[in-house]
Amino acid sequence: MELVDTFYNNPEYIETASGNKVSRSSVLCGSQNIVISGKSIIMTDCVIRGDLANVRIGRHSVISRKAVIRPPFKKFAKGVAFFPLHVGDHVFIDEGSIVNAAQVGSYVHIGKNCVIGRRCVLKDCCAIADNTVLPPETVVPPFTVFSGSPGQFTSELPECTQDLMIDFTMSYYQHFKPVGKGKGK
Amino acid sequence: MAGTLSLPDSEVVQYLCACKKWNSIYRLYICRRCFKIRCGDCVLHEVDSPYCPNCLENMPSAEAKLKKNRCTNCFDCPSCGHTLTTRATSQMIPNPDDPGKSTPKKMYYLACGFCRWTTRDVAIPDKPIASGAWEDMENPDAARISTLLEHYQLLAQKEKVEKERKKYSRRRSHLMYAASMDKYGLVSVAAKRKGLISAGPNPTIKENEEINIKTIKEAVTVEEFPPLPDEIFTEPIQLTKKTSISQRLAMSEFQPSEAVELYPRRKHLLIRRSLRCKECEHNLSKPEFNPLSIKFKIQLIALLYIPEIRVVPPGELKYKKDTKIVLTFSNPVNTNTKIQFIQAEGNEGEKVTAKIELPKKELVLAHRDVPAMYADMPAQQDFKDDSSVVSFRKANKLGIIFKVTPLVQEGDVKVCFVLKHDYLNTAATLPSENEEPEIVWLEHRVTVNLGPVTSSK
Repeated sequence: MELVDTFYNNPEYIETASGNKVSRSSVLCGSQNIVISGKSIIMTDCVIRGDLANVRIGRHSVISRKAVIRPPFKKFAKGVAFFPLHVGDHVFIDEGSIVNAAQVGSYVHIGKNCVIGRRCVLKDCCAIADNTVLPPETVVPPFTVFSGSPGQFTSELPECTQDLMIDFTMSYYQHFKPVGKGKGK
Repeated sequence: MAGTLSLPDSEVVQYLCACKKWNSIYRLYICRRCFKIRCGDCVLHEVDSPYCPNCLENMPSAEAKLKKNRCTNCFDCPSCGHTLTTRATSQMIPNPDDPGKSTPKKMYYLACGFCRWTTRDVAIPDKPIASGAWEDMENPDAARISTLLEHYQLLAQKEKVEKERKKYSRRRSHLMYAASMDKYGLVSVAAKRKGLISAGPNPTIKENEEINIKTIKEAVTVEEFPPLPDEIFTEPIQLTKKTSISQRLAMSEFQPSEAVELYPRRKHLLIRRSLRCKECEHNLSKPEFNPLSIKFKIQLIALLYIPEIRVVPPGELKYKKDTKIVLTFSNPVNTNTKIQFIQAEGNEGEKVTAKIELPKKELVLAHRDVPAMYADMPAQQDFKDDSSVVSFRKANKLGIIFKVTPLVQEGDVKVCFVLKHDYLNTAATLPSENEEPEIVWLEHRVTVNLGPVTSSK
């Protein structure tokens, strides 16, 4: 199916010079530590915890409503330390997911209501099915789908995953259109 | 599931594979030599490299076979299946020189971060080194299995020698070449399946040498089972101390029934595989060796060569009423592609529930321009489109109007047609030759599911 337009209330979103669309009702803590490369969408009620460590999000990524991006920590003998979190290009994170990963590669699809545990590593071209709980320190290799609780390898993705994710995230951005008056700057 | 995850297995738009199976374009391959669509069921799968999904270490298949296709360093939790992590603790060990004092020593055990199972739960002693100290449990039937294996290997060798005496030369093929370089176990499997058993000399058996096959102990039928212990009738069962069926089957050699008999199990390896056309034996897909890489050395997937069809969600579809629907066609190649439509004749297993009127004229799909896609600058296009046929044109995408008449009162509206498009075959000619690349017309049978009929009530 061809994607249909999704509309947002224009004054609700800020569009940056590099084309990022960030909702005003998202919570970006420590915004000086958050880098979003361009043409990414951060939707309403998202939380990005830049105050804990640096968060870098690549181009053409989509963070859907109520998702939480939170850098992971590790316990040491003296207290805890937070690690930076990198999200690659063309990544789609669906509604209500909590991402605590150390690294999310490019062309990754994370379904609805997932919990990605502390210091997980999601490599390029992988997918997490809806309602999956990935325990801490899980590694998801390329071209695999993890699902269930605890998240385990269940199926393989086709070779064209990269092209699919590029097409999906780019057309999602093109179909994410403003309505109503007011400037989104 | 929304988004891209559902696409590969969606049944909205399906193409007919050369083996007469219907598949979505995302699961199909195209062979550039025989110009046929292939699906996962009509290609040869070859194991390129087994790798561990946790530590991502890859190894040749011979080594993986020795390790029983399991990783040596990574362990799965026998309780929940998640990967175990190594934990370090310090233990006080009495000093051998001075019995009064004790010195701390680092000891390691395995713990699950999900269900909190540890090797200490089942009284496995901690190990002094972080990895490599976790030995496997001895399979009670290991001796019997190895004698059986040896026996059948000898039998196979004997049969092979007898076969070789009858047959002499055979045509060499790509598979033979690959089999002679057999780095990866499955090439020979693929060769065997094609009936091209390698005629190479066998180092262990010389010609005319008789193979002695010893008779082995025959299998004995178990007729009597030990009776159930008395406690089963007198003591209440403690379910928390029993294993579940899935836990039991995960350790198929031992199948412990008590939770205290659980033992960490080595992680199964995953494989990277390459695909080969069954007819011409050319590669259709060959990933890079590194399991982390998402690049391909050869990637002949249908999505990169055949126009992709998508459905623009239609309005109301009513019984016996002409409705205009729009399908989009995206050109994946960087040359303009001409497309034509032909009414489907005969039946290849599709269930058609509607009549479709196809555009009679030839249409042109603009070439795919990747830099323009990222730069957001629509390239200048001057196609004289007939607005009665073309709904919109956007970069390499063309929305085409079709007239559909549903012939059922309820259920899904499904149509079938043949898509014909030209394809510039760059594979056949070398770039040094000053020949024009050959243009081939490819035909694909396509079914489209437009969704349910709107009831007339």
